Amino acid sequence: MKIDLHKLTIQKAHEALKKGEYTSVQLTQAYLEQIKNKNPEINAYLKVFADAIDQAKQADTKIKNLKFNIENFPLLGIPCGIKDNILIQGHITSASSKILENYRATYDATVISKLKKEGVVFLGHTNMDEFAMGGSTENSAFGVTKNPYDTTRVAGGSSGGSAATVAMDAAVFSLGTDTGGSIRQPASFCGVVGLKPTYGAVSRYGAIAMGSSLDQIGPISQTVSDCEVVFNAIRGKDIHDGTTIDITTYASKHVSKTLGAKPVIGVPRHFLKEGIDTAVIDAFDSAIASFKQKGYEIKDIQLPNISYSLLVYYIIMPAEVSSNMARFDGVKYGLHKDGANGIQDYFETRRAGLGREVIRRILLGTYVLSSGYYDAYYNRANAVRAMIIADFQKAFSSVDLIVTPTAPSPAFKIGEKSNDPISMYLEDIFTVTANITGMPALSIPCMVGENDNKHLPIGLQLTARHGDEATLFAVGKDFLGE
Amino acid sequence: MPLLSLAVTIISMITTAEIEKLATLARIKLSEEDKASLVKEFDSILGYIDQLKKVEVSTDTEGRVGAIKNIMRPDESRQISTDDRERLLDEAPDREGDFIAVKKILQ
Repeated sequence: MKIDLHKLTIQKAHEALKKGEYTSVQLTQAYLEQIKNKNPEINAYLKVFADAIDQAKQADTKIKNLKFNIENFPLLGIPCGIKDNILIQGHITSASSKILENYRATYDATVISKLKKEGVVFLGHTNMDEFAMGGSTENSAFGVTKNPYDTTRVAGGSSGGSAATVAMDAAVFSLGTDTGGSIRQPASFCGVVGLKPTYGAVSRYGAIAMGSSLDQIGPISQTVSDCEVVFNAIRGKDIHDGTTIDITTYASKHVSKTLGAKPVIGVPRHFLKEGIDTAVIDAFDSAIASFKQKGYEIKDIQLPNISYSLLVYYIIMPAEVSSNMARFDGVKYGLHKDGANGIQDYFETRRAGLGREVIRRILLGTYVLSSGYYDAYYNRANAVRAMIIADFQKAFSSVDLIVTPTAPSPAFKIGEKSNDPISMYLEDIFTVTANITGMPALSIPCMVGENDNKHLPIGLQLTARHGDEATLFAVGKDFLGE
Repeated sequence: MPLLSLAVTIISMITTAEIEKLATLARIKLSEEDKASLVKEFDSILGYIDQLKKVEVSTDTEGRVGAIKNIMRPDESRQISTDDRERLLDEAPDREGDFIAVKKILQ
């Protein structure tokens, strides 16, 4: 039988599996076939797992067991892709780096354990910028991921492989990680939905760390409803990650909305004046018009310090990168290169194993943390971070959501920005705020792409209060007509 | 008190010697070519982030995300299975029995 994979959702696949229209094995086979056809050109997957069919067989056994209540397992038998920096025991997990090229994960990340309990099928590990450092997947040690809508363009990054696999119908959903926009920007470039949850909502145990006060794992999917299903499956407090929060942590602080009343949407117009592609502004304005038509109140808001977000990010992030990357020493795991002595081993190993952008960020982090500069950079950045958080909290006293474009441009050409770090960093201008503040943010397509190399997808970003993913999902679904 | 108003004067230009010092601290070997291009890239990046100096810092609060802090756990050792231990040791580039082998430090 031929299964139509085009824009297949978790909901649709779940119904079909329940009714017995096809089995998880058949569905998995269809995806493996799609990967075989599409992946050589797109390069979304680094590895396809040989045990995918076995996982699907196990799911089918559960589905056939009548005592088993499939209603409670919306992800049972659903094939997905996992970013290459999330550990799956027994599988090579390289973070797209030479230094971990042969590293076989020794344990499951918490999100993987949770998804295993749900009975999902892991198809493979997806490509990314090395250690999640980049906005285009061009920094992968294993080749760029191309945009399924136009293969001369990037898929975005750093979770470019995770977004591209959903866009090329080679997984129902995927997991990515987001430190400064790494889920939302590729979702925007590939015309799919991506969520950066509230800081602490999802455990990072088993995710290879980049910036620990910024990182979150989140889903990428075809629809907001799918995103919600995956988020509910992976969220929750975890003994292995001290930063995780309870579902109730922020609940009491929520401003309760009048039943039936639409959430109020805030737009920081003052921040949307320059440096944005006209196609993005047009798509954004139509989205706002559409919200108005649906009866939402739109308020202009001020976020006085928002323009400093990117500066703050490019100080705090490298500082945390330089600390997190210190563990790659060629002793405990990963690549080892011999030097003249034990100390020289480190120099040789890190030189041979780490790519240019990673080295650049380690050195920048070392610089901003070094004595004499610490106060001027790192401490000052943290103080400004507090000011930005205060701005957002103030804005959320009069609105329920803040809406901006996800990225200042649609997908750019491969190679266009790779020699200009600052122009690449500017890609994160709208997304870093959610990592700086720890607030949840969702990217949804507001301009649907077409596979004609001309009409590229464009994403709209919704940001909500801490712990208020529910409003993101409700409004996202309403906007997309789900 | 405006704790952070005494901004240190930052020299935005960086020298090759400074790049070398950072690379030593970070334990990364660099070629002469790397150093030259890093000096250039650092100038552009530092030129950008130096704009932070212009921000009037009105608070002495430390920036912190998340609603929780000081998560404690009992200071107890936890037993892991032999399988787990074997898997961990097997990932080491060099092992001797139950130990990870490294080069001699004391001569």
